[in-house]
Amino acid sequence: MKNFKALGIIGSALAVLIIITIVSLLWGQYPIDFSTFIGYLDFKLFGGVENDTYTLLDNIILQIRLPRILLAILIGASLAVSGASFQAMFVNPLVSPGILGVLAGASFGAALGMLISEQWYIVQALAFIFGFVAVGVAVLVGSMVTNSRSTIMLVLGGVISGSLFTALLSVVKYVADPYSTLPAIVYWLMGSLTMADLSGVLYVSIPMLLSIAGMIALSKYFDLLSLGDEEAKALGINVSLVRFCAIILATLASSLSVVMAGMIGWVGLIIPHIVRMAVGPSHKLLIPLSALVGAIFLLLADSISRLAFSVEIPIGILTSLIGIPIFIIVLKNARAAWN
Amino acid sequence: MELNSIIAIKDLHFAYSKNKILDGINFHINRGEVVSLLGPNGCGKSTLIKLMLKLIHANSGEIWLNKKNIKKATHKEIASHVAYIPQYHNVPFNYSVLEMVMMGRVSKLGFFGMPSKKDYDIAHEAMRKIGIESLANKAFGQLSGGQKQMVLLARAFTQEVDTFIMDEPVSGLDYGNQIRLLETISTLSDQGYTFLKTTHYPDHALMVSSRVVVMNGGKIISNGNPKDVINPDMISSVYGVEADFIEHGEHTRCIPVFKT
Repeated sequence: MKNFKALGIIGSALAVLIIITIVSLLWGQYPIDFSTFIGYLDFKLFGGVENDTYTLLDNIILQIRLPRILLAILIGASLAVSGASFQAMFVNPLVSPGILGVLAGASFGAALGMLISEQWYIVQALAFIFGFVAVGVAVLVGSMVTNSRSTIMLVLGGVISGSLFTALLSVVKYVADPYSTLPAIVYWLMGSLTMADLSGVLYVSIPMLLSIAGMIALSKYFDLLSLGDEEAKALGINVSLVRFCAIILATLASSLSVVMAGMIGWVGLIIPHIVRMAVGPSHKLLIPLSALVGAIFLLLADSISRLAFSVEIPIGILTSLIGIPIFIIVLKNARAAWN
Repeated sequence: MELNSIIAIKDLHFAYSKNKILDGINFHINRGEVVSLLGPNGCGKSTLIKLMLKLIHANSGEIWLNKKNIKKATHKEIASHVAYIPQYHNVPFNYSVLEMVMMGRVSKLGFFGMPSKKDYDIAHEAMRKIGIESLANKAFGQLSGGQKQMVLLARAFTQEVDTFIMDEPVSGLDYGNQIRLLETISTLSDQGYTFLKTTHYPDHALMVSSRVVVMNGGKIISNGNPKDVINPDMISSVYGVEADFIEHGEHTRCIPVFKT
């Protein structure tokens, strides 16, 4: 009964995501009407009748809108699931995916890449590598201070690592060419989905989807982790292994988000709150539903950034501007879902 | 090691840095017993429980659970033999009572496994056994201390074990809830379940125990029948206060006496 209800909720969220995806594909500076879209789909999928406009639609849909929409979905889902996982792991509903320094590390890596190279793959590779390096530093510092593997020491390690890589990012900004590299770094850090290309998005979608699937598989253990280490162990789970897997998966998903679109804040904090408020704190439903709601949120935010203003606003700025008032509104009710 | 013992502890030593906490603990728990662990604050009771559950590791000595050295046992294996019932507490996320109780089933599920109808049936049966089925859909955070403790007890039953370790189960409960919990333990022990509970109340140990183990300074100083072990000398030497003992029906009661 409970499982059927959960599947119904997830199915509804998935349906909403599909509808918003189709609307986003059709809506833009060059609007596409629904019948043309259906004809285009018929031609592409089932070899239907070709129309003169389909070459243009290929360009608009496949090259411009679809990669961007898929990337918004992937990043929204990744950040929301990472945030929900970290909130369970650190037994703290105010934790966000950047708690272990992954976002600061990846940002530094990307900035360093822009400083030393003009090759985009080097920027992306360094962002990915330094996302993991920052989390490694956090775990190392946390375990150096004491032999204990307590989450408090891990959080402290994350604070230190985050500060270190934020300082290193400032160093890179300071030495960067103020007329070319520095603006590139600053715009990158504001977050943007405009760089999305279909092959790149499909390529990162595999590790991102695997990370999300891994965190969904771990979700039943997150309920126990949120009771604290001792109780979780006494209830029969391997706390160190679950925590290790969750950190690796969340770091992979979060650092790939920065690799593809720069810094996008607030998604990982507010989406789990909204979902928890709607369906309760049980992670078996919270984690998969956070993925879908995170995807819907970022897709909507990106649509607003594309369409609402004459000049496109960086998505990172918009998620903050939208996220903060939403957080204030939900905070009062969200508190009912955590003590 | 006793043949029928479910838990056997042999020459156990434990220290935090150089601070010796347990100093050569030997004892065992037989199937069907209710053992009360008594002793002053800091005597090592909670540490002993943590060691039995492998939450911390001993410096030397052995702990055998169902004839298996727990050094070689995983937490999953330990949880399949013994359930731990901590003091009631708040959790950061406001799970429902059913969700809390179902957490006892997680170690029984495979990595990709989801709870089945059988798991939910077991959870409902555990809540019925403890008398809290009507609370199933209530928020755990909004229950009274006594109700929370009963939920943790029901959760332990979903692990399908017959041995329970309770750390100061009546701590923080009002008088009525203390008595109701002791009654529940007494009823369950009559059904053949095994309990090890730490307590600060000699009176409670007299009321619901088949055996009492007294600890002081990291050692076991007394181990035996409750009426033999809990006496004015023991109260005086362990707690530094005086007490009278009176007979009430078939029970003995411990009454503290003020010096002034």
